[in-house]
Amino acid sequence: MDPVYLDHAATSPVRDEVFDAMVPFLAGHFGNPSSTHRWGRAARVALDESRARVAAALGARADEIFFVRGGTESDNLAVIGGHAALSAGGPAGVAVSEIEHSAVLEPAARIETEGRGRATHLSVDPAGDIDLGALEAACSREPTLASVMLANNETGMVLPLSGVIEVAQRHGAVVHTDVCQALGKIPIDLRTLDVDLLSATGHKINGPKGAGLLFVRRGARVEPLLHGGSQERGLRPGTEDVAGAVGLATAVELAVAEQEEHHRALTELRDRLESGLRPRLPGMRVNGADAVRAPHVVSIGLASITDGAALLMALDLEGIAVSGGSACHSGSARASHVISALYGADDRYATIRFSFGRSTTVEDIDRAIEIVPTVVERLSPTEVTA
Amino acid sequence: MSRVLVAMSGGVDSSLAAALLVEAGHEVVGVTMKTFCYSDTPSHGKTCCGLDGIMDARRVADTLGVPHYVFDVEEEFTRDVIDDFVAEYARGRTPNPCVRCNSNTKFRDLLARGEALGCDQIATGHYVRVAHEASGSYLLRGTDPGKDQSYFLWGLPESMLPKLLFPVGELTKDEVRERARTLTLATADKPESQEICFVPTGDYRDLLVKRLGTVHPALEPGPLVRADGTVLGEHGGYAGFTVGQRKGLGGGFQEPMFVLEIRPETREVVVGTREELHSDRVTIGELNWHGGAPAPGDRVDVQLRYRAPVVGATVVERDRSLVLELHEGRPAVTPGQSAVVFDGERVLGGGRIDHATSGITSGANA
Repeated sequence: MDPVYLDHAATSPVRDEVFDAMVPFLAGHFGNPSSTHRWGRAARVALDESRARVAAALGARADEIFFVRGGTESDNLAVIGGHAALSAGGPAGVAVSEIEHSAVLEPAARIETEGRGRATHLSVDPAGDIDLGALEAACSREPTLASVMLANNETGMVLPLSGVIEVAQRHGAVVHTDVCQALGKIPIDLRTLDVDLLSATGHKINGPKGAGLLFVRRGARVEPLLHGGSQERGLRPGTEDVAGAVGLATAVELAVAEQEEHHRALTELRDRLESGLRPRLPGMRVNGADAVRAPHVVSIGLASITDGAALLMALDLEGIAVSGGSACHSGSARASHVISALYGADDRYATIRFSFGRSTTVEDIDRAIEIVPTVVERLSPTEVTA
Repeated sequence: MSRVLVAMSGGVDSSLAAALLVEAGHEVVGVTMKTFCYSDTPSHGKTCCGLDGIMDARRVADTLGVPHYVFDVEEEFTRDVIDDFVAEYARGRTPNPCVRCNSNTKFRDLLARGEALGCDQIATGHYVRVAHEASGSYLLRGTDPGKDQSYFLWGLPESMLPKLLFPVGELTKDEVRERARTLTLATADKPESQEICFVPTGDYRDLLVKRLGTVHPALEPGPLVRADGTVLGEHGGYAGFTVGQRKGLGGGFQEPMFVLEIRPETREVVVGTREELHSDRVTIGELNWHGGAPAPGDRVDVQLRYRAPVVGATVVERDRSLVLELHEGRPAVTPGQSAVVFDGERVLGGGRIDHATSGITSGANA
């Protein structure tokens, strides 16, 4: 039987429309957008159009969209570059939720360890409530860049951004949000979502890898991390990846246009998986079950499993491709920082994250419901019977 | 055919082991154990020893069309092998970490993971054979006398033996390379690894300094003495010496001098002549047997170092330790090394050498 891919939150296949849109810019229209000649001009037009399409899909203006090389780069640029710009006027800090992606957490940690500013960590409980008091304290102490993701990559939990924005705005703080997982699953409209900076990436929405974007609202300031060119108006120097931008624009456009319908389909798959697994995996915990969740992720905790890495390998051998906390943690037996933040550092549940995408079928879900419990049972220590 | 977990180090032996099992029709699952990380800084935590090994193993698995996973056993390996290695040197002994790893980490972890992955058997690229018979399973020396690795495997729990496969045990090293080349395995001509895998600098004393600190008694100067107590000079720390060692003792002796014994309590390194180096009575502890322990009066063959020839011996005492009387004296019988007991080709078991004495001198290694 064909293996089943249930790891779309790690990455997703490039969809046909995206592939077809990109191909002309890999060989034929290969020009450098900075060149004056016709090759350069053709590439420039494609880049400009892509920017406009992304902006339109997200409710932004074209000059607020900067193409970068993926989600990690976008997060780093927002946190480090945003904080650097804020620090131009004196000491500034960063405030991040404890369940951010490492691409936000580690830059924040470096800002603190390198003495460039204080890093405040905002706790999040399993219901998705974030410690706004700590945010308030940080923002009232000094100029602050707050970074809180819209949907968490490991659990799908949606964080209440409106509360974060309200507190931040009262103190004039800058707000960044990472929507790498949320885009295409829950509505995002920058005309109403009043953040200053936003990071997204192509490959989680059936676009190309290595193509991401940073939204910088007019008036917000970000210092570049790289130097040596005027591309992306100096914020991200380096010859532009035109094919990537075209692919990203196509993927974003389609993801936004199909979001509502996709949400419905994903929710059905999620509910089917959860209700199918629950009776067959006694003691199963759905991580973040009490929070509002993006519908493409089901993260379950299993108390009976002591070796999470082996569980992933065993599932792979049986044809079920899933991940632990997140792909970055696979191979490691340690609990992810997200699960530790939500359930405590001594939490002993092993995590399986299932995540779905456009190509996921009901049959895929049913296979998982059939196979996962048998593998879990094999890996669970047998009870001693006298 | 059964599902077999193959420990692939990235070397040619385990590469071919995997290939042979695929050829035989088994469902092969390749794994590499990540045992040790060179780097201290967490931000470079991914650049590890064995990284080349992991990459090579992955390439071979890909060529063979079998899955490959990395088992992170760093914690277990540090606890069971490196800590023991350091502690043994601190006690004035000369450990054999490969024996320790096979007995206490590698196979135990492979078996546990193998069960989790639904594997019926475990295979490695060791040059050793295993016989599975109705009465039980036992180990035999590898066919290639120059490569035989049975010395390292005496400590395997007997209960594991029925699950083991050693596909290259009946081949010579040349045959292994030749077959690997025929199969165009990427590792066919990879050089042998010689050094201890967790000693990146090649000098184990660097590791001791790092783990013990420079002020540990094992690393401080102490007296260099003859067996009768005559002080000959000073040495730079007894952890730098092993029984039988000639280098590093300074010159000016009438005849070649060798380390006879290390006395950690007094930090003395005892030296003497080649003649004094011989022992004929060996006490071994931490015993492990495959198919029952030999009894007092039994005549066995014993191997006291890797690649050393066997020597006939008679069991004279058996309690928690085993005392063997060698039929001829052997040089440099070293506490911490393994004494592996054979009946011809067959591995009966063994233990760690605790001390060795000689009828000729009274130089008892405490």
